[in-house]
Amino acid sequence: MFTFRDEVSAVQDRLLPYWLLIPAFIIVLATTIYPLAYSFITSFRAWDLTESRRPQGFVGFDNYIYAATESAFLNSLWVTFIFVVTSVALTVVLAMALALLLRRKGPMHTFTRIILILPFAMSPALIGVSYRFMFNPEFGVLANGLGAVFPALQGVPWLADPQLAMGILVLTDVWHWTPYMTFMCLGGLASIPKETEEAARIDGASNLRIIFGIILPQMRGVILVMAVLKTIFALKMFDQVVTLTGGGPGTSTETLAYFIFNVGFRWFDMGYASALAWILTVIMMFISIWYVRMLLSDRKMATA
Amino acid sequence: MKLFTSAIAIAASLYGAQAFAWEATEGRPYEGQTVTVLAVTSSQFAAHEARLAEFEEATGIDVIYDYVPFPNMKEALTTEMIAGGDYDIVSVMDQWVSSLEMLMEPIGPEMEALGVDLSDYPAAHMRHGMLNGELIGLPVRGHVQLMFYRKDLFDAANITPPQTWDDMVTAAKAIQDSSDAAGIALPYGKLNGQNLMIWMNLLWGNGGDVFDADGAPIFNSAAGVAATETYISYLAEEIVPAGSAVFVEQDAVTSFKQGNSAMLPVWWWVNSQLTDPEQSTLTAEQVGFTSLPSVPGADRTTFTNTWVFGVTQESDNKDAATEFLSWLSDPALERDLLLDPELSEVVAVRMSNLTDADVNARWGGMHQAAADALATADGMQFGDDWPRVALILETAISSLASGEGTDVQAALDTAAEAIEAIR
Repeated sequence: MFTFRDEVSAVQDRLLPYWLLIPAFIIVLATTIYPLAYSFITSFRAWDLTESRRPQGFVGFDNYIYAATESAFLNSLWVTFIFVVTSVALTVVLAMALALLLRRKGPMHTFTRIILILPFAMSPALIGVSYRFMFNPEFGVLANGLGAVFPALQGVPWLADPQLAMGILVLTDVWHWTPYMTFMCLGGLASIPKETEEAARIDGASNLRIIFGIILPQMRGVILVMAVLKTIFALKMFDQVVTLTGGGPGTSTETLAYFIFNVGFRWFDMGYASALAWILTVIMMFISIWYVRMLLSDRKMATA
Repeated sequence: MKLFTSAIAIAASLYGAQAFAWEATEGRPYEGQTVTVLAVTSSQFAAHEARLAEFEEATGIDVIYDYVPFPNMKEALTTEMIAGGDYDIVSVMDQWVSSLEMLMEPIGPEMEALGVDLSDYPAAHMRHGMLNGELIGLPVRGHVQLMFYRKDLFDAANITPPQTWDDMVTAAKAIQDSSDAAGIALPYGKLNGQNLMIWMNLLWGNGGDVFDADGAPIFNSAAGVAATETYISYLAEEIVPAGSAVFVEQDAVTSFKQGNSAMLPVWWWVNSQLTDPEQSTLTAEQVGFTSLPSVPGADRTTFTNTWVFGVTQESDNKDAATEFLSWLSDPALERDLLLDPELSEVVAVRMSNLTDADVNARWGGMHQAAADALATADGMQFGDDWPRVALILETAISSLASGEGTDVQAALDTAAEAIEAIR
């Protein structure tokens, strides 16, 4: 027979998980939901920090309309698109290739796996500074090393050419992210049943056939996660732009995140910066939604 | 010998005991208060901090310095302006003063009451302490540009320091013919408008300017095009180091310090780095300086850079803060730093110190050269949109330097249109 005390205890038990969630909820509310909501409202207002400490009047969609016509913003969107496509493609392909090489067991493979994580452990800002030094035509080790091996490359002003500068920006990002993505691939490869591959080998399938016919189809989910994760991080590319190229030469490496920073913290136009930040957020939300849909359709196919 | 040593010791003690002109407010009215200072990282400000004991003892005010590196300084000041309340005194670079209008408090009457002599500041520095006709900050750190050059390479090439920018090209080629060094290290890359600093001298020398009296862009005039073509032509003439198209100021300085370039037009404060054995391959005997070259037929010019110290609007200790400012702006304190044999600090903003015989004797006439340059330098009036204007301009220069753009007139016209759109 249930007493009143039992009833209270049961209610308390049911509420306990919610009570435990409250601290985390408050933290998320304060650090994520509130700033997001505040910046969303700000994106519809004028706010010139040189004139007012508080957001000024509502301007409707003016900030968004201005973005659609401003050449500097459109350029940063294009630069970001080029950067994202090349860096994501190169990172995923390289990571997959490295994972296929490293999936065998052996002391050298283990050692290589351990040192492989080092680039990912480095700060992106530091990577930018290091590469800036390494590609300095006067005293850069990479610039001079390449010049020594290929004399035609001696004295090439690597970061002074718009295309080469973009190439080096992509290189630093690929160098930074490939190790982490390789580990993701290694995890995915470990989950593929060995029997399928062995059966194909017994049937006389070549290595290439095994990779493209058996391994890659089964890695589809992992590759999708990698591509989406990498895309989201690439869209936010900021640190290396600041320390490696400063967005230059000209505006050739001025990514969207760097442009937003300039608008907000150098030009003090917080309303416009908020609108731009929300455009970036919406792009990332679309990619995330697409990713979830792809993942769900993958699971449906797997269970069908 | 013993007598000589004693004489030096006596002279040193007398020098060390030299009383500053500054005097604390009688009665120590602010005793027990704390003044917090947000300063950009610099050896000059560290030297001020090292001499705080005298001020703290005389006033009973406790002073705390917080240093922020230059690349983060503007963000720190912006945060202070919006959130407020952390600092009583802030150091602000001239280009940011207008856009940080809500940060600093007018201090004119307070400084007058404390007897601070404003007439001793060069006009080019002083104008950056004024906003809307009111004094909001005192210049404490100020720079002019000088042309540093390699005396040994000039001697070897049998040439003299250039008087005009055309002479500079001739000298650079002569140096390159007689050594492995590049003629001159110049910044063309994007960073806080650094690629505008020398370009601006060519602009002024050609009779141009950035804006007209009404604030409309005129840098795309014939004078502006000529100045820009000249500046970009140094790349084509190959008198600058390879990769200069992305050089920022520090890259140019490093090139000179590593012995890879023979000339370096840059701020005078860099002097202490150029022969510092820990960061340079050069000795004091190898490095000379002269005023910046002029455009033929025009006066010499210099871009100036000024850091003003002001009292924050949100300060709870404004009186104590102004008391501290009056001490900090004391010409005798500045002179003390300039003559301290333990320091290699050349920065000065007081005309009395720039023309001081002892100061010039110690620094080989560098300060008189600066005083001469400042006598005719107007300095620039930076509006609150200057950060954006500078970014548009430096991007145009960077595009032309990298070859991304080739039509100078078109690039400057586009920049002018972009600037007009935000004004």
